[in-house]
Amino acid sequence: MTDLIELEEPTEPSTSSREEIRRISDNARARRVVTSRIMVALCGVALLIAAVPLVALLYQLIDKGAGQLNLDFFTKLPQTPTLIAPNATGGISNAIVGTIALTLYASILAIPVGVLVGVYLAETNSKFATTLRVIAQTMAGAPSILMGLFAFSFIVHDLNVGFTAIAGSFALAVLMLPVIIISTEIAVRNVPNSLREAGLALGAKPHMVSTKVVLPSAVTGIVTGVILAISRAVGETAPVLLVIGGGFTNSWQPFNPVSAMPLAIFENAKSEWPSQRAQVWGIALVLVAFVFVLSLTARIWASRKQQVRN
Amino acid sequence: MEETETETMTEIQAVPTTQVVTPRVRGPIEMQLKNVAVSFHGRTAVRDCTFDVEKNRVTSLIGPSGSGKTTLLRALNRLHDLTPGAKVSGQIILEGTDIYRGNLTVTELRTRVGMVFQRPNPFPTMSIYDNAVSGLRFNGIKKKSLLDEAAESSLRSAALWDSVSSRLKVAASNLSGGEQQRLCIARALALEPEVLLMDEPTSALDPVATLRIEELMTSLKSRVTVVIVTHNMQQAARISDDCAFLLMGEDRAGELIEFDTTEKIFNNPVDSRTLDYTLGRFG
Repeated sequence: MTDLIELEEPTEPSTSSREEIRRISDNARARRVVTSRIMVALCGVALLIAAVPLVALLYQLIDKGAGQLNLDFFTKLPQTPTLIAPNATGGISNAIVGTIALTLYASILAIPVGVLVGVYLAETNSKFATTLRVIAQTMAGAPSILMGLFAFSFIVHDLNVGFTAIAGSFALAVLMLPVIIISTEIAVRNVPNSLREAGLALGAKPHMVSTKVVLPSAVTGIVTGVILAISRAVGETAPVLLVIGGGFTNSWQPFNPVSAMPLAIFENAKSEWPSQRAQVWGIALVLVAFVFVLSLTARIWASRKQQVRN
Repeated sequence: MEETETETMTEIQAVPTTQVVTPRVRGPIEMQLKNVAVSFHGRTAVRDCTFDVEKNRVTSLIGPSGSGKTTLLRALNRLHDLTPGAKVSGQIILEGTDIYRGNLTVTELRTRVGMVFQRPNPFPTMSIYDNAVSGLRFNGIKKKSLLDEAAESSLRSAALWDSVSSRLKVAASNLSGGEQQRLCIARALALEPEVLLMDEPTSALDPVATLRIEELMTSLKSRVTVVIVTHNMQQAARISDDCAFLLMGEDRAGELIEFDTTEKIFNNPVDSRTLDYTLGRFG
């Protein structure tokens, strides 16, 4: 190990090669400026193309929906218009209550299981974990009507529970599960290993490291994932379409038929009454606002939490 | 460094210093390493490590990158246990018990052999207080009075109490890098370990913070045996009493070249490679 590092004498740069390098790089720079301008312009055009449908959609939603909103819209039960009162559509309180109830029960079912599975996937490397991960990823891409079919055949039919809120919640929970599992796994994996080691080096058992060190550090990511899963579930039509029974009362009962906003949109859009078809926009606006508030809350909460930590 | 060395020798031998070099009487042994080797998936990372870590002294592990210092250190509190494919052979004996084969649980071992890492890693979601007592809480201690006492005494030992006593509930991440590292030392000390392992504890810190940690190590010697990995030879010379020099062999596995008192390693080593390294001729 006595072979000492020996540096070679630096050679003088030849003036001719230096000039050539300058000349070529000047030319290249001029070309790059042009390319850069073209690319920026293309990006701008792409942005416009992407924004037009979004803005148009929001505009139409507010334009047609805002007029529908009044106190009765939120508090009254729906009515079927008659020839004498063709505009008596009532409100959508049952759908609002139903959506909240469905989402609530689905969350109770999906969050604990999803978070636990996510932590398990992140903290182990067994074959079983790999299999679970593949299943979760496949489920995340599965069409949502499949969850509805599954809930229909399993809960409504096989278990003979009937058309109920809980059947819809089950379908939504199955839909939320992969989102929660995957985001939890990512959040837990992002916790630096040095923190796990710190815990272990203090004589903590692995399960303690998971619950006292890793989970608290990953909570921002987990909650963000959970709220994204909820916002997705809130707006889903297909899974609930087949199983919730479309109740016409404000029911919080898990074993009663309920309505839901997406279902109300689906039903009203098929109505022969123009007043009911117009009501669809109001419901859609409320639904979008609901999801917007949810994800905004998640984002603000996450960034606050992040700021406190830094 | 020479001064400190002489002092220690005087203390132990209790004879007036003379020019005649007498072999130092070795003190009680805290940890014994016998032919310790660590391999990952059958590939040896470090081997042939045989030396005794003496009680209440600072033992430094020095050597260039890749010589297996950190790997060896992490074997001393079984941190390789969770690394897939890692295997530790040979014997590491802590107070008469083989830490891998004896009847000592891994959690018990880790409360007796604490560790401070290269980068300060306080738990970001916990307050300063909670960090300081986290080890106790992990081990089932809930009594408030006991925790309060331990928090204060460990933060005092880590020379942190005066600057944080008024803000114990503040998140640990608000502290500066040096303070965070001292918090990590306090966190390890709260469990009253017999040995404190330190893996390049100052490499992420500025010179002032480094100096404070070094002073701390010297002051901690009376209550805990310190084993420290360092890249910085001046640091090893300044703070350690004994020194193990490791080097990467032909087959890229680290091995122990020489173990002796720091004075001997730096002034009069047996192996020429040790001299080359300590003189800064390579590495």
